[in-house]
Amino acid sequence: MEASATTRLHQEVEASIGRLSTVLGWGAGYDPLHMTPLFVRSPEDIARLVWNPLCVQNLTGYLVKSPGVQPPEEGKKIGICVRGCDSRSLVALIQEKLISRENLYIIGIPCRGTVDIRRLMNESGLSNIRSVRIEKDLLIVDDANGAHNLPLERFLARRCLRCRHPNPVIHDVLLDEPVTPRTTAEDAYRDVESLEAQSLDQRRAFWSVELDRCLRCYACRNACPLCICQNRCIAETRDPRWLTQRVNLPEKFLYHFIHALHLAGRCTECGECERVCPMEIPVTLIKEKLNQITRDLLHYEAGLDPEAVPPLLTFNPAEAGI
Amino acid sequence: MVQSVPSPAPQTSIRIIGFLCNWCSYGGADTAGVCRFKQPTDLRVVRIPCTGRVDPLFVAKPLIYGVDGVLVSGCHPKDCHYAVGNLYARRRLEVLKNFLSFMGIDKRRFDYAWVSASEGQRWQQVVSDFSERIHQLGPNPLAGKGIPQPVQGPLTRAT
Repeated sequence: MEASATTRLHQEVEASIGRLSTVLGWGAGYDPLHMTPLFVRSPEDIARLVWNPLCVQNLTGYLVKSPGVQPPEEGKKIGICVRGCDSRSLVALIQEKLISRENLYIIGIPCRGTVDIRRLMNESGLSNIRSVRIEKDLLIVDDANGAHNLPLERFLARRCLRCRHPNPVIHDVLLDEPVTPRTTAEDAYRDVESLEAQSLDQRRAFWSVELDRCLRCYACRNACPLCICQNRCIAETRDPRWLTQRVNLPEKFLYHFIHALHLAGRCTECGECERVCPMEIPVTLIKEKLNQITRDLLHYEAGLDPEAVPPLLTFNPAEAGI
Repeated sequence: MVQSVPSPAPQTSIRIIGFLCNWCSYGGADTAGVCRFKQPTDLRVVRIPCTGRVDPLFVAKPLIYGVDGVLVSGCHPKDCHYAVGNLYARRRLEVLKNFLSFMGIDKRRFDYAWVSASEGQRWQQVVSDFSERIHQLGPNPLAGKGIPQPVQGPLTRAT
C-alpha cells in the first residue's frame, strides 16, 4: 500500500514538475528508518521522493524560515507535500499572509499516522538497520539481530494518536482516499485533562521536573513552522532582554511561556516541537492547553479556514463574559 | 463619602505588581489617593499607556520569578483612549488567566479589572480585594527559585 503511495507521489510530481520550481517532500535519510526533508529541483530527483509513516517532518517551515526554499521562479510555483497536520500549518501561514496560496502547489496526503521514531528505537532495541519494509500495518525492520515485525499502531506518535485532521484541509491534488479521523474533538485533549485532574502543586512539580531538563537548545522553536521571528526571537535578543544565558528553572519556564504564548490561538498542534525535543519534554502539551482555552473561550480552532483571523489578532466588542 | 474598607495589615511582605493604564486606572488610583481612600500598600504600580500594551509575558515573568500577585487594570471596554486596546487585551489576559494554573501557577494570583479615572472608590475596592486575596494565598511558592544567583564557575548551575 505504502509503496503504491510513493509511486503515486512520483507520478504526480512527474506530471507537475514542469510548472514547479521546487518540490518539498521527504527522502531517505542516513538509514532506512530515518527520512529527511528533500527538495526536488530537477526531474532526476523525483525517484528519491518517499512517502511512508516514517516521514515525520513538517515541511511547511521551509516556506517561511531560512534556510528554506528559494522563492519560485517567474511563472512557477512551489510544490509541497502536506499531511493533514502540515496543511493546517499552511493555512495558518496563509492567514497571516506569510505565504501566498497562489505560489503553492499543494500535494495533499491523507495520513494514517506517523511513527515516533525515538520511542521505536528505545523500545525495540534496533541497531545497524539494514532495511525497512512496510506491509499494511506492520513495520518490518531488518537489522543486526535479524528481522523484527513491529506493529505501526504501537509506535505511533502522540500527536497522531490525537489527530482530528488526518486529511489535508487545503490541497490542489489528493494522493489517496481520505481517511477517517482517529479522534473526536472531545478526545483530543485527554492528555491535557489528565494533567488538569491533578492538583496545582502536582502540576507545578510536574512542570518543574519536565522543564528542568530543558537545555534551551531552541529546537522546538526552530522546528515550529509558526515561530517565524528567527534571529529576532525575544528569547535571544538583548534588547528587549527577556532572558539571559543563565541556566535556571525560571528562565526555562519563561522560555516555554514565550514559545507557548506567542503561539496562542495560532498553534496547529503539528507536534514538531515535541518530536524534536532532545530531552523528551512534552512541549506540545503546553500548546494543547492553550488551544483548548481558545476553543472553549473564543470558539476557534487554528489552521482550518484560510480566511479567518486568529482570535488574538482581533477583537469583538460584543463579547461578554471576559 | 464612604470611608475606608479596612485594609489587611501587612503580615508578610507581599509583592504585587499593578499595570495601570495611563488614561483610566492610573487616574482612578490617583483619584482614590486624592480622596484619601485607604489602600493596601503591597501594590507596586507600573504606568502603561494602555492595557493593549500589556504583553501576557509582563504578567507571566513576575509570577515565574516569584512575585506574589499581578493586577492589570485599564479603561472599561469600549471606553479605551485608543478605542480598542483593551478589547485586544481582555482576550489575551483571559487566555493567560486560564493558562497559568495549567503550568502550576495559581490563577488567583493574577487578575484584571476595568476602573475608570473617576472611580476612585471602585479602585479602592479592587485593590483591597485583590491584596486581601493574595495575602490569603500567601507568598508565591516559586519565589526564591527565581532570584538570579551569581554564577560561581563556568560549570556551576545557578539554581
